[in-house]
Amino acid sequence: MIKRNQPVLLERVNKMEHATDVAEYERYQGFEGLKKAIEMDKETILDELDIAHLRGRGGAAFPLGKKWRHLYGSKGDTKYIVCNADEGEPGTFKDKALLAHDPLSVIEGMVIAGYLFSAKAGYIYMRGEYRRIQKVFQEALDHAEAAGFLGDNILGIEGFDYKITIISGAGAYVCGENSALLNSIEGKTGRPRVKPPHLADVGLYLKPTLVNNVESFAGIPVILREGGQAYRDLGTEDGGGTKLICLSGHVKNRGLYEVNLGTPLHEIIYSDEYGGGSSTGNPLKFIHFGGQSGPIGAVKNLDDCIYSYEGLWEKNLSIGSGAIVVMDDQVSIVDYLVQVAVFFAHESCGKCTPCRLGTTRILELLTKFNKKQAESGDLERLEHMLTHVTNLSACGLGQSVANPMRSGLDYFPEEFEAGLKEAAVPVKGGLW
Amino acid sequence: MGLSLKEKEAIIFENDSDPQRILNIFLDIQFASEEGYIDEETAKLVGSHLGLSEARVYELLSFYAILKTEPQAKYVLKICNSTPCLYTGGDMLAEVLETILEVPIDQATPDGLFMYHSIPCIGACDQGPVIKIKDTVFSDLTEEKVYQLIDDLRNGCYLEL
Ligand code: SF4
Ligand code: FES
Repeated sequence: MIKRNQPVLLERVNKMEHATDVAEYERYQGFEGLKKAIEMDKETILDELDIAHLRGRGGAAFPLGKKWRHLYGSKGDTKYIVCNADEGEPGTFKDKALLAHDPLSVIEGMVIAGYLFSAKAGYIYMRGEYRRIQKVFQEALDHAEAAGFLGDNILGIEGFDYKITIISGAGAYVCGENSALLNSIEGKTGRPRVKPPHLADVGLYLKPTLVNNVESFAGIPVILREGGQAYRDLGTEDGGGTKLICLSGHVKNRGLYEVNLGTPLHEIIYSDEYGGGSSTGNPLKFIHFGGQSGPIGAVKNLDDCIYSYEGLWEKNLSIGSGAIVVMDDQVSIVDYLVQVAVFFAHESCGKCTPCRLGTTRILELLTKFNKKQAESGDLERLEHMLTHVTNLSACGLGQSVANPMRSGLDYFPEEFEAGLKEAAVPVKGGLW
Repeated sequence: MGLSLKEKEAIIFENDSDPQRILNIFLDIQFASEEGYIDEETAKLVGSHLGLSEARVYELLSFYAILKTEPQAKYVLKICNSTPCLYTGGDMLAEVLETILEVPIDQATPDGLFMYHSIPCIGACDQGPVIKIKDTVFSDLTEEKVYQLIDDLRNGCYLEL
């Protein structure tokens, strides 16, 4: 039985001595989800996932059950399972914890997917920054294979053959975008593909492919072990389960936590159990949710906010990756957004002009405001540019650049206005 | 670049000469080498073992930020410049390093020992400010700790800070 307020994904992270040890993993209910799955009818597995209402934890929050059903229905003998472990959203370090301290749970989730879709090959694409963790993960894969949970005839089931390969990234944020990630696995540059077609129909090597985040895969064994309803009850109406959150910035207790969806945001930021309030002694001013591509909320408007998908949507915010970056009132929003823009201008892959040039123009405009050198019309130009980049970019990177910028403009317009040059006074008479 | 042909080939074979694992291969070679970069000869070697054209290989080398095609300083200090780190003290790092090392950002010291530059988030945002050197992250840095770090590195070692 799992109850609310009990760690589910972090349970073993805090307890296991040897993260890659299969026997120890099994002592903490490891592989029970897989064992249940192979007893179940495949349709029933899909039903449980729907009931659980797990939304993709990478950031897009798409219902996982629907995604899996789509792949289940897509035609083709060869299907691939891919785990997106390219965590690169600034402010996000949750996948790192699972990969390093509970790799077998991610593996178990991927094996369940392998079973359901009769896939022979799974890939985990892990960011190049996590090289040390790649070694830990490889060890976990080797142990799992030795114990019969990977390789040929898994669990003695004839024809249940499945392997997982680690592919390293090498420092490109855009590879977190699923289609770019697949290109990168194929040994190409990690530039996003034009979609549709959907990856569930035309994915890795043009075959039907499932791509899910690390945290999503780690949730799968829990759902099958405990039942979809029990999992759903951990969260709220619009999203079941718990969520890993990463607190950083000006809070006392920075770090990784697991919360039930539906926890009051105020508690997350201020209670001693989580953030513990301001670390600087200054009042807190704004919170950036979900990474650089996420929206920003003003603390003063968030007193009654509930940390859940619907609770954040109501405030025009979103959970995204689970990053919660908190800033105090000494931080100028314009200055902050300049840094965000630096990030996007640096990480745009350059494939589409609106994103490649747009991110640079946005950075230039914001810098003008920051230096108090903006001219009349610049605010309109900025708004225009944000709309263009959002609407004309081909992938999620370009399409979400405007999220933090827009919310900054909405909540703190006075700081932008203060960035306008003093209107020049016409010179009267001669200059001599 | 320090690694012998045999050592390079060993890395390629460990990765099953698998073109899918070309980034793993380049990273392993780069991290094992003294000068921290992929030279032309190595690029060609990897390409031929994996059955990839030179153009394809160079496209990859130029696309991925961690891969380098020029010799690096012995210690490349990478400063996280994403917002969570930057606003919890990270803004002082470049300044302090400039004072200590007496070279601007992105430029190696004359003795070839140090260089520092900015990179985006490395997933240690709750421990900022951070500097990463190869696979090691130095976290919760203060000015004093940075002085100590450089001192230690000059003496060829570093303490866990
Ligand atoms: S939107 Fe930006 S990152 Fe995405 S494909 Fe276009 S240029 Fe590349
Ligand atoms: S923001 Fe610096 S490590 Fe993540």
